Amino acid sequence: MKWIKIILFLMPFMMAFSGLQAQQRFPKPEFHNNYVQPTPTTPEPRGVGMEFMDVLVLLVVLSLTSWFAIKKRSRNGILLLTVFSAIYFGFYRNGCICSIGSIQNVALAFADPKYVISLYALLFFLIPLIFSLFFGRVFCGAACPLGAIQDLFIYKPITIPAWLRKTLGFIPYLYLGLAVLYAATGTEFIICRYDPFIGIYRMNGPHLMIYLGIAFLLMGLFVARPYCRFFCPYGAILNVFSRFSRRHLSVYQTKCIQCKLCTTACPFEAIDFPDEDKSKPDNRSNTRKFILYLGLIPLMMVAGAWIGSKSDVFLSRAHPDVYLAELLVSHPELKSDSKNIDIQTFLASGKSLDTLVAEAQVIRDKFHTGSWILGAFLGLVIGLMAINQVIFRRKDEYQANKGTCVSCARCLDYCPV
Amino acid sequence: MVLLLLAGVIVGLVVIDLRNSRLDKRPDNPYEYSVDQFKSVDPALIRYEETIDFTFGDLDLRGIAFANNRLYLVEDFYLVIVSPEGKKLVKTELPESPICVTASSKGIFIGYKNHISQYTTDGMLVKNWEPLNDSAVITSLALADSLLFAADAGNRKVLKYRTDGTFSGSFNGKRDSADLHGFIIPSPYFELAVNPYGELWVVNPGMHAFENYSFDGTLREYWDKTGMTIDAFSGCCNPAQMAVMPDGSFVTAEKGMVRIKIHKASGELESVVAPAEMFGGGTYAPDLAVSPSGDIYALDYEKKMIRVFQLIKTK
Amino acid sequence: MKRKTFINNSGRLILMGGLVYLTGSIILKRKVSASGKYVWQIDPFKCTQCGRCATQCVRDLSAVKCVHAYQLCGYCDLCGGYFKPNTHKLNTGAESQLCPTGALKRKYVEEPFFEYTIDEKLCNACGKCVKGCGSFGNGSLHLQIRHNLCQNCNECSIARLCPSNAISRVPIEAAYQIKGDFKKPVITAPK
Repeated sequence: MKWIKIILFLMPFMMAFSGLQAQQRFPKPEFHNNYVQPTPTTPEPRGVGMEFMDVLVLLVVLSLTSWFAIKKRSRNGILLLTVFSAIYFGFYRNGCICSIGSIQNVALAFADPKYVISLYALLFFLIPLIFSLFFGRVFCGAACPLGAIQDLFIYKPITIPAWLRKTLGFIPYLYLGLAVLYAATGTEFIICRYDPFIGIYRMNGPHLMIYLGIAFLLMGLFVARPYCRFFCPYGAILNVFSRFSRRHLSVYQTKCIQCKLCTTACPFEAIDFPDEDKSKPDNRSNTRKFILYLGLIPLMMVAGAWIGSKSDVFLSRAHPDVYLAELLVSHPELKSDSKNIDIQTFLASGKSLDTLVAEAQVIRDKFHTGSWILGAFLGLVIGLMAINQVIFRRKDEYQANKGTCVSCARCLDYCPV
Repeated sequence: MVLLLLAGVIVGLVVIDLRNSRLDKRPDNPYEYSVDQFKSVDPALIRYEETIDFTFGDLDLRGIAFANNRLYLVEDFYLVIVSPEGKKLVKTELPESPICVTASSKGIFIGYKNHISQYTTDGMLVKNWEPLNDSAVITSLALADSLLFAADAGNRKVLKYRTDGTFSGSFNGKRDSADLHGFIIPSPYFELAVNPYGELWVVNPGMHAFENYSFDGTLREYWDKTGMTIDAFSGCCNPAQMAVMPDGSFVTAEKGMVRIKIHKASGELESVVAPAEMFGGGTYAPDLAVSPSGDIYALDYEKKMIRVFQLIKTK
Repeated sequence: MKRKTFINNSGRLILMGGLVYLTGSIILKRKVSASGKYVWQIDPFKCTQCGRCATQCVRDLSAVKCVHAYQLCGYCDLCGGYFKPNTHKLNTGAESQLCPTGALKRKYVEEPFFEYTIDEKLCNACGKCVKGCGSFGNGSLHLQIRHNLCQNCNECSIARLCPSNAISRVPIEAAYQIKGDFKKPVITAPK
């Protein structure tokens, strides 16, 4: 009943608002007949309380997915939840606000003293992450609307070779870093801008967004969950978190009998194969390699930071103020271009070019700090990905990879044990 | 291989979007409505140039009048008497926000929202006249010998007082004939003036008309010009400000598309004092006052200064 | 096995700690709004009628609509926002109207006053009437985001491209900034 209370709380504000509007600035024209002057209307948006209902639904869906994946082990249950998420979070709520986009809100709230994040955006960010720490990537499995539509579009999944998967697996971290950088500097929300599926859920949108969505869906017929695996920045975070999850979907219930049926079921190559070479590894050379790669990590970070700091100017150009300042400084003749709305509006605003340049410089400085952090972060990611290849983990059974398995539960029906 | 194509399509779409949104590549406004054609004026019509500007800091200036070789300014809570060269001579505090002012050798008369105050020419309060009702808004004052006319925009009337403060009558411009509609005043701009020949001219802003009334309110003649060209008045209520020149012509200032023009007493455009380009993006018409030598003093509310326009001296 | 569970548990603890730190720092700086929803709002005094409200909104027919502040309107026969300039006949013929979709309706009230209303189903937020009203009239017509239509995107596509930064994120209690909402007593001198 919280939302009723909130609406009732807001009512006096709305009425006071309209009451103030009725005050005349100047005696209105003398109307002799009984003309009643209308007042402008202020139609209300969807109630605030409904946002918390969405959080509740998210909690319920995540709990049910965890239960279906780990306890009940039912693919049908997860399929139902997937369809439900596509309908509720996708078509009904139009896919906004989503957990993927909430990364940007959190980044901006952290970096900008003036930005106020709403509680439910913060909750949408936190809740799937907390669930992933305990149950694995259950959000991806059935709650995320973008994942849901991709999952439903899988037709004839092909196998992607491991080296390609690992290389493309770097992109989500790049996307994550850029998204956080651009959100924290207040440039723009690139995740929202390049969200392929929201145009389809809204059944409305700018042309490019719709084409992007169709392209991704067509891709998704053959490459299972392309956005989830190779682009999603939230997926990158969930991947890391999920590796430390307390419990995770397990392919088998009792013991693996090496029948390999699960590998044909999983469209995402998320099942780890056991080692082919059963001999004991050479500890010495392995340890040496491990230490070498470990030592390489700081080097990668420094290299990344260096590259990052060198590209700060390039990255900062995405910010409109910086771009405008650069444009007007390097091409002063554009000031007389009467067709360019942005330049003309800026010139008419009375703000001097020097003020604009000073503001752009402040933003550039923010980018400078942000870019080398981004570079260092990406260096770290590459270093860790490399070291992952070298770390020896004895695998003697077929089991779901804790990082990449999205808990879709397709393998559960195939496993005979 | 179709997949590679699709991947290429995806990358291509993102790149196209990034490039298209660059500041210098954005499309033009398909719904552009340019009013620039109305702002520019044939230079041959402009016969005045701006010579001096006076600034008085960031005060909220309200009204201006010229008489007795002095400029009388009313601003929020002060009456300031200034020499024509811009030197402040007297500054008197006012009890509330004034709207308009007029002056003659008989004294200074300041119009507030619903009452008028009388001051000596040195700025000493003589008396506050009887207040009017709540809906009154006095927007303009004009003196004719021992009479003071006040334009009440709120009640849509012209009020007549004697200079000692006694109320002498009012008229509201309504007529029986079908082509006149009384004073139509959609916003608080209602001007009147007495020209050097002793005639009372009242601006009817809603009709874009100048109406000549006898002192007891009988309409003698009128002319109106509605249109968007330079020689007419557009918008809901123009001209918002008016003053008379020494030769009986009218200098007008409009709101919306701010410009100052001079119309002959018969209505034709005589010349342009300041075209729209000389004013900033704002929409307030400057208050006007004219010196006996024909210099026009315009009170620019946006720039908070008095701009003086003089006839361009032909070489 | 023990080493694995140890790494697992400590990793989880570290990550939880990270989340707590992030959340805590945001909450402590009081940057979390529990009751409020934020919506997008156009400041009509900054708007320059660039036309992007019509073309950039993610919805086909923009969620921005022209709103009429009736208290400011002069009810004029020659409406600067309704008529094309230099029209000879002041009637409701389509050839003399500025509005490309015919959303601005003119209705005779009494001599010489006309009432102008906007049909929101037709308005596409192009801003022509706003420009005309502001240039030639009182400026009572202005563009506002209608919240029963607005999707309330995380980042408004129009806001990103607004040349005068007129669109900003405001709390829902102050969702609309309709002209004519005067809170101070009326001082009728200009300003």
